[in-house]
Amino acid sequence: MTTILSTTDLTKTYYKGSIDIPVLRGVSLDVAEGEFVSVAGRSGSGKSTFLNLVGGLDTATGGRIVIHGAELSAMDRRELARHRRDTVGMVFQSFNLIQSRTALENVTLALAFGDHPRRDRRRRASEILTRVGLGDRLDHTPGELSGGEAQRVAIARALANAPDVLLADEPTGNLDSRTSDEIVSLLRRLRDDGDLTVIMVTHDEPMAASVSDRVLRLLDGRLVEETRAGEAP
Amino acid sequence: MRFGDLFQLSLENLWRTRLRSSLTTLGVVIGIGVLVSMVSFGTGIQKNVTEGFRESDLFTSMEVLPTEIDLEDVMSGNIEIPEGEIRPLGDEAVEAIRAIPGVEVAFPEVRFPVRIEFGEREARTHLRAIPSLMADYRPFTDLPHGRFFENDDEPSIILSQRFLRNVGIVVAEGLEGSGGDGGAAEGGEASAGEGEDEDELVAVPVDSILGREVEVVTSVLDASGLLQALTQGMSRATDMPLREETVTLTVIGIQPQLTGFGGSRFLGGVLVPTGTAEGIPRLGFTSIWEALGPSDDAGGYPSVYVRVKTMRDLETVREAVEEMGYGVVAIADQLEEFKRNFLIMDALLGAVGTVALIIASLGIINTMVTSILERTREIGIMKAIGGSEGDIRKIFFVEAATIGVLGGVFGLVLGWVVTRIANVFANHYLRPEGFAAVDFFFIPLWLIMGAIAFAVAVSLLAGVYPAVRAARVDPVQALRHD
Ligand SMILES: Nc1ncnc2c1ncn2[C@@H]1O[C@H](COP(=O)(O)OP(=O)(O)OP(=O)(O)O)[C@@H](O)[C@H]1O
Ligand SMILES: [Mg+2]
Repeated sequence: MTTILSTTDLTKTYYKGSIDIPVLRGVSLDVAEGEFVSVAGRSGSGKSTFLNLVGGLDTATGGRIVIHGAELSAMDRRELARHRRDTVGMVFQSFNLIQSRTALENVTLALAFGDHPRRDRRRRASEILTRVGLGDRLDHTPGELSGGEAQRVAIARALANAPDVLLADEPTGNLDSRTSDEIVSLLRRLRDDGDLTVIMVTHDEPMAASVSDRVLRLLDGRLVEETRAGEAP
Repeated sequence: MRFGDLFQLSLENLWRTRLRSSLTTLGVVIGIGVLVSMVSFGTGIQKNVTEGFRESDLFTSMEVLPTEIDLEDVMSGNIEIPEGEIRPLGDEAVEAIRAIPGVEVAFPEVRFPVRIEFGEREARTHLRAIPSLMADYRPFTDLPHGRFFENDDEPSIILSQRFLRNVGIVVAEGLEGSGGDGGAAEGGEASAGEGEDEDELVAVPVDSILGREVEVVTSVLDASGLLQALTQGMSRATDMPLREETVTLTVIGIQPQLTGFGGSRFLGGVLVPTGTAEGIPRLGFTSIWEALGPSDDAGGYPSVYVRVKTMRDLETVREAVEEMGYGVVAIADQLEEFKRNFLIMDALLGAVGTVALIIASLGIINTMVTSILERTREIGIMKAIGGSEGDIRKIFFVEAATIGVLGGVFGLVLGWVVTRIANVFANHYLRPEGFAAVDFFFIPLWLIMGAIAFAVAVSLLAGVYPAVRAARVDPVQALRHD
């Protein structure tokens, strides 16, 4: 099994005036290709911070992140943008869709950043949207979609540029439990169907345990506990 | 991201906030409109004046006077002729001036008062002798009616529009060829009513003016009367020893109307070829200068008109003439000053427009910054899905530039419309009576290009700060849940 993502002694400290707020105090983690990993932890434990570091949206204070053989801390801003575009796809609790654009246009925008040929974009975007079960809602704007549907659009957008790793930050945080199950099983199915690695942040440990290969827990800035699939019910 | 995508994205963004975008663009439109109309007024005036000069002979001619002239004095209107320094301008002097390299034409001013009988009417005017050589020069190259002299001795005369007015005639435009006889009859009627309504003008076709014979009446000293006067003393003015002589000449042309700028010193009186003019008997002096000058300058002219090949010859010819001891007056002396004044005027007019444009650019900055604040989340999203700082910068930059291009193009249109309207009013209220209409505004190609380039440059400049700020948006902050 090849390791696609590996973090070593990852630290992140926020500095507010003279006060240091250490959020991550040394997170080391190896994720294998095709693995579905969940990260749980209390609110404020630094889950989003960790995901943003791996996603290249934020920079670490110390430690290393190696993804697909490339070290993030060595990347300049341009290379980080390329990393966000080609290597990872991000999904957020609040969907973060562009309200003025339709489902299809939200996905084609990602393809435009990915320099996909213009005429292929619509076809590819509707293909992916069909894959996440939204083939019949292409021309609806986020305001016309339910939360679960909006999150599907966000997932489709994250997959548009065929990333290696999907980073989902509480993707079900705004959804009812039934819809949450649907979204989580969609993520699982997407992982099962292709060579996708999924790292999901969630509060809901039982749900995480039901779909993940393993569940990690962030406590006091460190990853303290692991539950492997099969070990826990 | 490709340029086409950036452009489309920018247009979509502008369209999403179309009211605000169009108001911002309107600011640029007005700024450019003001700039274009201001500068086009400057260039229009400059064009009219310099073209007027060129069409006339102001840059390629000079007046040689029989005395050294201090230009400052002439300009301040205070001409004093220093006594004893007058050098007569005789025929030899004219020959000598002609021989100077660079001189194309040189002929003395011969101008004297005449009375001209035109049909049954008559009017006083000045008669000026012009050599047929001048046929090659403006304004004689294209007389509006008839032709110029073919030789210096033909018994012909070219009338002016003003003279025709004085005998109660205006040239009927568009009536040409519609029966010269009828026109002549009309002219006759007008003459018959002479004395009653002197001011009433009759439109007469050109055909019936050209080819007509006129009597040129001059006064000469009467030898017997002079003798009488000398013996009895000229005690009474009515006893002036003068006698009238009459020469018959054929009308072959009519001079052009005066234009608003420039014009020519030859327009105004009636013109006769030099040889023919010599044959017209007249008093021995043509001006008070001549009459009062030293007695040995008989045959001296009041001035000699000199035309040089190019503007560059003006200075060398002037030096040569001044070496001969004569005075020279050339309007071209004022050219440099004119140019400098126009530059200053253009700069001032341009400055007003630039201020308008700067205000418009503040509008762009304001709109773009507002837009960034509104779109912070969207910028964060774009970064999260792979948009680079360069992409974000370019999106905002293209938005600003699009406002600039649209503002520039429509501003140009606005400026053009404004100048067309202003021109109608300017011509209506400012143009002196009897002058041809002029275009007070001129929009040259450089102004079109310059205005659009300036609009884009200003918008890009205005877009720099918002674009940089947009690119710097921290995606983590921007995407933090609401
Ligand atoms: N810019 C910042 N400046 C200072 N402190 C920050 C900043 N961003 C985050 N933090 C702190 O870092 C800690 C971790 O935040 P983070 O968002 O990663 O937590 P989380 O585990 O995702 O919580 P939640 O489950 O509520 O989303 C929090 O205590 C937060 O206050
Ligand atoms: Mg979080």
